[in-house]
Amino acid sequence: MVFRIVKLSDLNLEDRRFRFTLNSADSRLLRSIRAVGVLQPVIVTARQDRQVLVDGWRRIEAARSCGLEELPALEIAEKIGDPAVFLVAFFENYGQRPFSLAEKSLAIRKFYDFRLRANEIIERILPLLELPPERRMLELMLEVSVLEERFLQVIHRRDWKPVTAEQLLSFPPEERAWLLSLIEKLTHNQQREVIESFYSLKRKTGKSLEDLVRKEKLAGPTERLLKGEISAADRLLAALREEKSPLLSGLRQAIEAEVRNLGLPEKVRLDYDRNLEKPVLRIGLEAGEVTELKEALQSLSASLENPEWRRLFQLLHYEGE
Amino acid sequence: MAGLRIKKVWVDRRVETNGLTRQLLDRLAGQPVEIVDSVEAVRRFIRLHPDPVGEGKQHLFITSQPSFIRPCPCTPGCLGCGYWTIDLDLNCPFDCSYCILQDYLNLQPLTVAVNRDELCSELEVFFRQKPSGIIRIGTGELADSLALDQLTGNSVFLMEIFRDRPGCWLELKSKAGLPPALLQVRPADNLVLAWSLNPQVVIDSEEKGTAGLEERLAAAAWAVTHGYRVGFHFDPILHYPGWRLDYERVVESIFRLVPVEAIAWVSLGSLRFPPGLLPLARRRFPQSRIYEHEFTRSAEGKYRYPRPLRQWLYNQLADMFAGFGAEDRLYLCMETVEVWQEFSAKIKRGRRNFTFPFPWQC
Ligand code: SF4
Repeated sequence: MVFRIVKLSDLNLEDRRFRFTLNSADSRLLRSIRAVGVLQPVIVTARQDRQVLVDGWRRIEAARSCGLEELPALEIAEKIGDPAVFLVAFFENYGQRPFSLAEKSLAIRKFYDFRLRANEIIERILPLLELPPERRMLELMLEVSVLEERFLQVIHRRDWKPVTAEQLLSFPPEERAWLLSLIEKLTHNQQREVIESFYSLKRKTGKSLEDLVRKEKLAGPTERLLKGEISAADRLLAALREEKSPLLSGLRQAIEAEVRNLGLPEKVRLDYDRNLEKPVLRIGLEAGEVTELKEALQSLSASLENPEWRRLFQLLHYEGE
Repeated sequence: MAGLRIKKVWVDRRVETNGLTRQLLDRLAGQPVEIVDSVEAVRRFIRLHPDPVGEGKQHLFITSQPSFIRPCPCTPGCLGCGYWTIDLDLNCPFDCSYCILQDYLNLQPLTVAVNRDELCSELEVFFRQKPSGIIRIGTGELADSLALDQLTGNSVFLMEIFRDRPGCWLELKSKAGLPPALLQVRPADNLVLAWSLNPQVVIDSEEKGTAGLEERLAAAAWAVTHGYRVGFHFDPILHYPGWRLDYERVVESIFRLVPVEAIAWVSLGSLRFPPGLLPLARRRFPQSRIYEHEFTRSAEGKYRYPRPLRQWLYNQLADMFAGFGAEDRLYLCMETVEVWQEFSAKIKRGRRNFTFPFPWQC
């Protein structure tokens, strides 16, 4: 590699054949470049009389924003072929930070397009990327890599796992696009849960997403979320959980209604295992003095004749479909 | 060996000259064979297949096992039945959508261990050290006990080792038919031939390659006629619309063919699985709906039906068995103390031996 100073205007930034990273320049990098310029050379190589960027996309972006006209570069000889140059781009980044799933998929796509044999990608590249060295993983990554840019950005920013991407890909393209608009702004865990829930409900019922969200419980929060009301995400997730867990949700609602009807004093709290694995009630009493404790116990014991207690225990021991 | 499809035989170099290896290769004459240094070579190969788990079921690896016997780990928080396992074969040629081996065995091909001398020595030590009372031990945890029997002859081999070892019950658990070899020998008192049962609709949709319900029950009836004791496993019980009637028919068919006295035990267990199985099984069985049911997660992360439903399934089955006076043969597999308590009250085995409420010791 030869060190030289390149003009930004000499770079063909349209040629992204070696690019697989998705981070863009952040304010820290901008501040640093504004203060001291670009100190670490980018990597370039000549292709058809133009310089093509191999590595250093963030630095170039920041340099342009700061109005720099040239910057230091290491140039790889033109005669070195694309596959070998891409290896430089890959390993230059590999040691610096873990890649997101979207970046892994783009890197794998590059190796594939540069004609590295599928078996070699499976056996050599997938383990480097901490992915299982299996053909189906190669196939999944190749599918992810051709998703639209906005999908890749969401997968990248929210650090998705392969299973979520696999579920997303199981939806037809128009449902995928709808789902993406729905979840784009949510946290990683919320995105994962929404996708998993719709995936499961769709498999179970065979219905389209459009039909699924017609249900009253889902329709409201979905609409609000699509309008950009992020606070509706919790409502949607709660509705999806109810949808996926009708037996336990129904029992919990019935238990909570009985507890409310009991009208226990403020300082007495009832608790139970939300999964109903252990059919017992736990009772908490709050008291700062003996008299308070006495009062709490008395009111509790006075309430024992209420039929709600019996119904509560029946619900806890419920067996059925 | 109906339905057994072997694409290639891989022989571990360490057992290349073993007598049983030679016999197996004779029985598999015509199949491509490769000698390898370890199972890794086979794994590397099957990983390249789009469905490595399914592919692994069609590659036979002949090897030796470093050790065979271990206590069944059960599940934390559940009441263990004190079962022991012999890991003689690993993996299974059948392909059940709910099989945890898909995830658990980490792409282990269909594996047969041929170092029987070591197994015999290990069993000798096991017999000497076994505590008093009844111990149950079986080969059906990491494999189907009879699926490869016509190839390996393991059933008769094991039965002869266990013969006259009172208190040590060998269980061979299967979804296959009855190997003819077992009908050519005198049954041992302490051998239990057990079949996992499910309604035929479940077998059709979820238990690819296995014997049908009628064939399994006919096998059990043959075994009983020949003098064997039998067991049945309703595990996993699946919940779906109409399940009750389907299971009732299965229970009725048992007692049409098999007398209660010949049944050593019947286990009940409902669908449960580790999280790793979920994406794998959904991918491999796109038509299956069993993974879209309502589940809860246990403390160690396994998915299972909610307790109210599990209790309901067990109690309904208990009623069905009670109709034939056979409820005292029932026990629960991998269930919590809470579920056991209600179940024991139901089947009136009561709490007199609640620390160990299993039918072979009550
Ligand atoms: S028969 Fe048993 S071991 Fe074989 S695939 Fe089915 S569940 Fe798994």
